[in-house]
Amino acid sequence: MRSLRLLIAAHKLGAGLGHTPAVEPRGVQFLRAVHTSSPPGPPVNTSSTTVARFEDAFAKDQRDKASFVQVLDLFCGRDVRRRGHIELIEAALRWMPHFGVEKDVEVYNKLLDVFPKEVFIPQNFIQSMFLHYPRQQECAVRVLDQMEYYGVTPNKHTLFLLVQTFGKLSHPVKKYQRLLYWFPRFKHTNPYPAPLHLIADPVALSKVCLERIAADRDAQLTVYQLPSSEVRDDGTVLEHAHLVGIQSPDQMCLLADHDPEHPVIVEGPFPLWLRKTCVYYYVLRAEPTAKIKEELDPERCFYYPLQLSLDLERDLGDDLSFDVDEVEEGPVYAMCMTGSGDEKTLGKWIQCLQETNPVLGQLPVLFRLTSGPQEVSPPVQEESESPKEDTRPSEEEEETRPYRRMEQ
Amino acid sequence: MRAMNRLCVRLGRMAWGCGAPIRVRPVESRQLLHTGPRSLTYAKQLFLGLIAKEEVFPYPEISNEELEEIKQLVGPVEKFFNEEVDSKTIDQNAKIPLETLKGLKDLGLFGMQIPEEYGGLGLSNTMYARLGEITSLDGSIAVTLAAHQAIGLKGILIAGNDEQKAKYLPKLASGEHIAAFCLTEPGSGSDAASIKSRATLSEDGKHYILNGSKIWISNGGLADIFTVFARTEVTDKDGATKDKITAFIVERAFGGVTHGKPEDKLGIRGSNTCELHFENTKIPIENVIGEVGGGFKVAMNILNSGRFSMGSASAGIIKKLIEMTAEYACTRKQFNKKLSDFELIQEKFAIMAEKAYVMESMAYLTAGMMDRPGFPDCSVEAAMVKVFSSEGAWQCVSEALQILGGLGYMKDYPYERYLRDSRILLIFEGTNEILRMYIALTGMQHAGKILTGKIKELKKGSLSAAFELMGKKLGSVMHRKINLGLTGTSGVVHPSLEESTKKLEENTYYFGSAVESLLYRFGKTIVDEQLALKRVADIIINLYGMTAVISRASRSISIGLQNHDHEVLLANIFCSEAYMKNCYMMTQLAKYCPENQDDSIKKIAKHVLENRAYTCSHPLDRTF
Repeated sequence: MRSLRLLIAAHKLGAGLGHTPAVEPRGVQFLRAVHTSSPPGPPVNTSSTTVARFEDAFAKDQRDKASFVQVLDLFCGRDVRRRGHIELIEAALRWMPHFGVEKDVEVYNKLLDVFPKEVFIPQNFIQSMFLHYPRQQECAVRVLDQMEYYGVTPNKHTLFLLVQTFGKLSHPVKKYQRLLYWFPRFKHTNPYPAPLHLIADPVALSKVCLERIAADRDAQLTVYQLPSSEVRDDGTVLEHAHLVGIQSPDQMCLLADHDPEHPVIVEGPFPLWLRKTCVYYYVLRAEPTAKIKEELDPERCFYYPLQLSLDLERDLGDDLSFDVDEVEEGPVYAMCMTGSGDEKTLGKWIQCLQETNPVLGQLPVLFRLTSGPQEVSPPVQEESESPKEDTRPSEEEEETRPYRRMEQ
Repeated sequence: MRAMNRLCVRLGRMAWGCGAPIRVRPVESRQLLHTGPRSLTYAKQLFLGLIAKEEVFPYPEISNEELEEIKQLVGPVEKFFNEEVDSKTIDQNAKIPLETLKGLKDLGLFGMQIPEEYGGLGLSNTMYARLGEITSLDGSIAVTLAAHQAIGLKGILIAGNDEQKAKYLPKLASGEHIAAFCLTEPGSGSDAASIKSRATLSEDGKHYILNGSKIWISNGGLADIFTVFARTEVTDKDGATKDKITAFIVERAFGGVTHGKPEDKLGIRGSNTCELHFENTKIPIENVIGEVGGGFKVAMNILNSGRFSMGSASAGIIKKLIEMTAEYACTRKQFNKKLSDFELIQEKFAIMAEKAYVMESMAYLTAGMMDRPGFPDCSVEAAMVKVFSSEGAWQCVSEALQILGGLGYMKDYPYERYLRDSRILLIFEGTNEILRMYIALTGMQHAGKILTGKIKELKKGSLSAAFELMGKKLGSVMHRKINLGLTGTSGVVHPSLEESTKKLEENTYYFGSAVESLLYRFGKTIVDEQLALKRVADIIINLYGMTAVISRASRSISIGLQNHDHEVLLANIFCSEAYMKNCYMMTQLAKYCPENQDDSIKKIAKHVLENRAYTCSHPLDRTF
């Protein structure tokens, strides 16, 4: 009953305002628009003019949180009845990503604060039974939907605003409860969360990425080369791209045991997605070889036998391993990330690796590079041999060429 | 006073030397009696569910002459430890004073097991164990002595040739030279493959040049003679060269031997532990112990033979602690009641007495078995004694500290020192974890050899084998009485221990089946089932302990030793407890890994180790 009275009062006030258009012509126009046209449906289509006006309000040069909040404050301060709040909120929701506030719960709260308080709370059972103020409730749900889309968990203040606006048993509050039921549960589902804000520095970013792929806590990160530019004598500028590599002690052991008969392969670039950024990495690997089963030395352990000389196998009932057809994969010996994926830089990587893995000096190295996006602009030159290649025997030279030709 | 002691010992020794009636059978003469190595030993038979009663019943005894001799030895040693050893100062200064060391040497304690012909005391294992009870009263001294003779010079004693013995043993026996055992390296604990020290043959073929470092060497700073294990190149029969471990006797005088500063340790602070470095040390080829490339066996034998004495040593500590704490508990009053009137305090004394009794029984049973003619292989038994007594000692010292409350925590009293000292028992001479693997796997290997045929037949689906198994199962369902022949008409156990004996027999019988089913289930991959093996080891240790106490208490009643009724009580309580524990562990063994929590244990450990941290969210953390 109270709300009805309020409504009538508001209507009268609006009508009164309509008679005095001098003060705020825009508000009046907007008010009329609301009252004259009330067809059901999405508010976006209700009136193109009013919506466009709010779009104008957001079409600013300076787009940040402060200016976004400023628009909302301006609207709230202009009119105590908040005429056109649904349109404003709809527009605001669309503009949020442009202002970079789509993940800010405070801004969402501010947005929900735009709704006039208490007027939409059902006062009797009939109102409770039917959808009371459906457009307002749907609008609030849309705000919460957008929060859901961007993974923003609403907080206590959100609930406070929703209860104040729509009452405890309203749809927005239900939506809020569902969000709050699922979001905390899903918060830590990803055991390998990507950092929220990626670092711009390519070296630091490479470090993060390599540690992420390597997944070995013992792995050693090495920055082989920092990005720099060098002016040559003939005036040309030589750019040195960054070169960051990672290798674990286990990989070093594997590489040391590598059979020198077979070449090792530098392969890449492979993409790695971190949220919305894609980076590329290269691996040093080898083709899978037949595994030699290691014979345990009977004189290995001073204290207890490491194996029993019994002719009994494990019983089926205790064999809990799954029968999996595994694709034979060769070992990966090291990984790196670099600003330019040409053979020269990668050759430098191999050269640097050789300091800690002397065995690389005796191994033939094949470069099996696909043209990644970074390689599009600078064409790979046949002549630019890596320093490593000089030490290679000549037959490998032949071996590498077909691959290189294949890429080009 | 010391001169008197010395006189006593010297007199005693002279007397034996002249072939007087109190002559002990020295090690050498005992070895003449053997009739080939015996294959049967008690513990291994337990794995088959059998009790080789002739091995452990009756409880080993020594002759009256030997007893007399021990008493003659024990008296002065005990007196020396009570009056002249200041353990507190040794602990504080982290050094054993020279005069204390001299006193020990004069008592002949540096050559306890060295045969008399080389100037040692020529003690049997049993007598060595008895003296260990007293020397253990000071942890630092006990470790110094043990590092010297239980491992340091053991190599020369068991694998050295006559020239080596004649050259080195006399000076080692008198304590003029101290020995050390150098096996551990920075990168190698129990893994022989990671030993880095290397000895290369010199060009003239007369010397080995040794290079390398050893760490945590007890007596490293004091010793003059080292038993060093290093890699050498050995040529096979088919001409291929291979790296193998060789044992060497290295004198400090050979040159190139340096040691680091003594390590600062938690306990046994008075013992000298340090790093050793060998730099181009020239070792004459006649100083190779055993044969070139045979160092692995030498090391294993030394390690396996040195452990049994830890049982009596721990028992010695606990007996001393019981005296000290009982004094306190019977005088301190709270609420007008003596501490000793509280049941919770009484319980602690019962635990200590029980543990001491079991340790003692196990230690002397093992020592007695080792003293028998022949070369009985008692390494499994010795390992069991070590595991049980080290853990028992740690528990009892902790209980003793608890009885004393805050007082036990104070540095003014010796209790905290005992606690610190006893912690090493669980670690050195093979950690208890490693020894459990040794115990279980050695037994499994033995049982496996015998049972392979039967299990294979069962797997093939042989009817007779299946029927036999069904019969067994049916019997256990119907609670058939198990009789392994310890009680009854041809029994060897006193009737007052019949109940405990039945428990032992029942446990043993079902343990045999458990082992069989483990072999059936896992075969040779049992090596990787460490959680199951740990249970196997725990059960067999309990079984051995039960045997030891039953055998000892039986003897005590039968010959009417003093307080034998108390012994029966202790034996019975231990057997009941062990029986319950064994039943529980055997039930777990019979289950599959998802049911006996092994799966969960592995999963938890895997997660923690993958993250290398405890990863649970803090209880105060929130998600919204």
